[in-house]
Amino acid sequence: MPHSPLSSTPASDNHTLVLVGHPNVGKSVLFHRLTGTYVNVSNYPGTTVEAARAQSRFDRSASLLDTPGVLALPSRSDDERATMRALLNENLRLIVQVGDAKNLRRTLNLTALLAELGVPLVIALNMTDEARARGIHIDTAALAEELETPAVSTVATGGEGIAALTDALAHAKVPAPLLRYDAETEQAIETVAALLAENAPHPHLAARGLAILLLGRDDEVERWLTNHPTGDELLARVHECAPLTGRDSLPARLARERGHAADALARTVTRQNAASDRSLSLLLGQIAVHPLWGWPLLLAVLYAVTLFVGDFGANILVRLMEEKLFGSLLNPAVTNFVTTRLGENWLADMLVGQYGLWTMGMTYALALILPIVTTFFLAFGALEDSGYFTRLSVITNRALATFGLNGRAVLPMVLGLGCVTMATLSTRILHTPRERLITTFLLAFAIPCSAQLGIALGVLGSISLGAVTLWGLSIVFILLFSGWLAGRLVKGHRIPLVTELPPMRMPVMGNVLKKTGGRLKWYLAEVIPLFLLGTFIMFALDRLGVLPWLIEAGKPLVTGWLGLPPEASAAFVMGFLRRDFGATGLFVLGSQLSALQTVVGMLTLTLFVPCIASVMMIVKEQGLRAATLMLAIIMPTAFFIGGLFNHFLRLFL
Amino acid sequence: MIAHTERIRLTGTPTGHRVRLAEFGKEIDPLQREQLLAYGLNAQQPLTVLQQRPMTVILCEQMELALEHSVAHHIWVEEEARTPS
Repeated sequence: MPHSPLSSTPASDNHTLVLVGHPNVGKSVLFHRLTGTYVNVSNYPGTTVEAARAQSRFDRSASLLDTPGVLALPSRSDDERATMRALLNENLRLIVQVGDAKNLRRTLNLTALLAELGVPLVIALNMTDEARARGIHIDTAALAEELETPAVSTVATGGEGIAALTDALAHAKVPAPLLRYDAETEQAIETVAALLAENAPHPHLAARGLAILLLGRDDEVERWLTNHPTGDELLARVHECAPLTGRDSLPARLARERGHAADALARTVTRQNAASDRSLSLLLGQIAVHPLWGWPLLLAVLYAVTLFVGDFGANILVRLMEEKLFGSLLNPAVTNFVTTRLGENWLADMLVGQYGLWTMGMTYALALILPIVTTFFLAFGALEDSGYFTRLSVITNRALATFGLNGRAVLPMVLGLGCVTMATLSTRILHTPRERLITTFLLAFAIPCSAQLGIALGVLGSISLGAVTLWGLSIVFILLFSGWLAGRLVKGHRIPLVTELPPMRMPVMGNVLKKTGGRLKWYLAEVIPLFLLGTFIMFALDRLGVLPWLIEAGKPLVTGWLGLPPEASAAFVMGFLRRDFGATGLFVLGSQLSALQTVVGMLTLTLFVPCIASVMMIVKEQGLRAATLMLAIIMPTAFFIGGLFNHFLRLFL
Repeated sequence: MIAHTERIRLTGTPTGHRVRLAEFGKEIDPLQREQLLAYGLNAQQPLTVLQQRPMTVILCEQMELALEHSVAHHIWVEEEARTPS
């Protein structure tokens, strides 16, 4: 196959550069360096679940695409399928393969397949600093010579090697293949490639690469082929070409042969020197997954987060913002400004009244929620940058096995403690539709988001530690029970956990602050319009006399069954829009609620319907039918459980 | 010179031992086998067992990999080359 230089390809025809690589190798950081656009970055696999696109800094005619990490190709999981779709459908100028310099063998394993696609490729060997610390030296010149295309060492977090990488892009070539498969497989590849070239040529991917993917049973490539007018027939002929194999399946045999080729080349270009001491990182990593010490460490982490978010965020910062800034300064000034200009009429009431856009909507969003989510995002960012979250999947694996899930599902659940909407999207890192369905249901039902969690910690923490513990244990019990039940009701089998554990490291403050800033921007852009809309709905309902009617209609349920004051009905109406909006509604009731009522109210609202954005994400990921079914289960169950707790706790309190 | 070539299960390998991957048992699901190969677990690959509970954790070059026992149990390994005593 001729090795075409990039410069020979007209930019107007193909202008997309795509970043491809394993999970957690720094693709998103590199994307940020090359485009200036920030996408969520973490020290655990699976952060990017959707491709992100931005214009490149170095060439205004080119756009750069950041793809979800692939463990391997042919694609097997949703994130791998998303990457394969990008390769199939984008008008590719070149592929930038981002690899982990510490693990060249694994990087080259993927190169062995990408090299067959007939697209110019550049290898960015990232995290070179970590490789150096381990005494690993890679001869990139020798690697580039062997692959016949540039290979560049980078440290994306520090900006090292970025200029060299952008220079190298101009010299990208279609790489030399790393291997010839065994004779029988090669014959099958050639036959399938000829079949594709003749009947269904791809506009930019080489028939040989597609043939290898089809023989490896890549369902995304199979889908592409079946979209062709004679695709079904062609696919049947492809399957006929697949040679019968011994113990290994053909996809496993192809993967094994690529593995051997990658191993050989990696040995050739790598030199191992004396490593610097990383025993502390290893020791910390081992403690985090230790069957005994892992649990106290988890409790210590949770306690520290509770102190930081519940005490510092929900108490000190909220008091400062709500009482000092909004209560004493801003709200009186805004109210005075509005009433002197508008007088005492409905418009003024809509802006600064009981359900005023400023006095309720903006005050809730900025004085109550913002300090809580900021502290939560800071704590969350520090933990994810440390590499701790992936280790959680190891110690929670056995518990999650009772749900028919594996420890990998803990990552979306932990993300759910930040934002359930984002977490629902991240269920794509799970391998089967069954795992995704169960995890999505648990997220919608029993995982409180950061704002709600912070408010719950703040409200219940101000009563007693016992109230927090009771609420927390109840949620955990409900989560375990509903997960156990879902695991039995949803058909399918469990996939055992095999996962890479990224190195434990000190969180990088710059990363944590950037991540917190990015999340707050995203969060406020979503929260403020919804809070204002929710406040306006409350105002309109109140003005039209519907809110008093709703409160009256909800009395048997809210006051009778749940044992809450009638005013709490408003919190549930608000909860339809966002759970944290509803929780804030309970928060402001404050002294009107007894300890028992606060626990019951918070518990019911925690389980109550997920926010509008989450519902929309569930519809997107699981379909309208599954989303409707989930809501139909969640809403009555939340009230049922809340009432049960109310009546049960009254026996003792 | 390799003196011993007996194969033991990865789950039966004491913590801290350095072994070489011999083969995957046929009990391992084909998709999972591909996944293991993608992680770079090829035959003769040196591995260090870091811990066995609650999951088997191995160090494969610079990568720490956690494997559930139902998978690790069907991975056969050999002791690293030893000279006869």
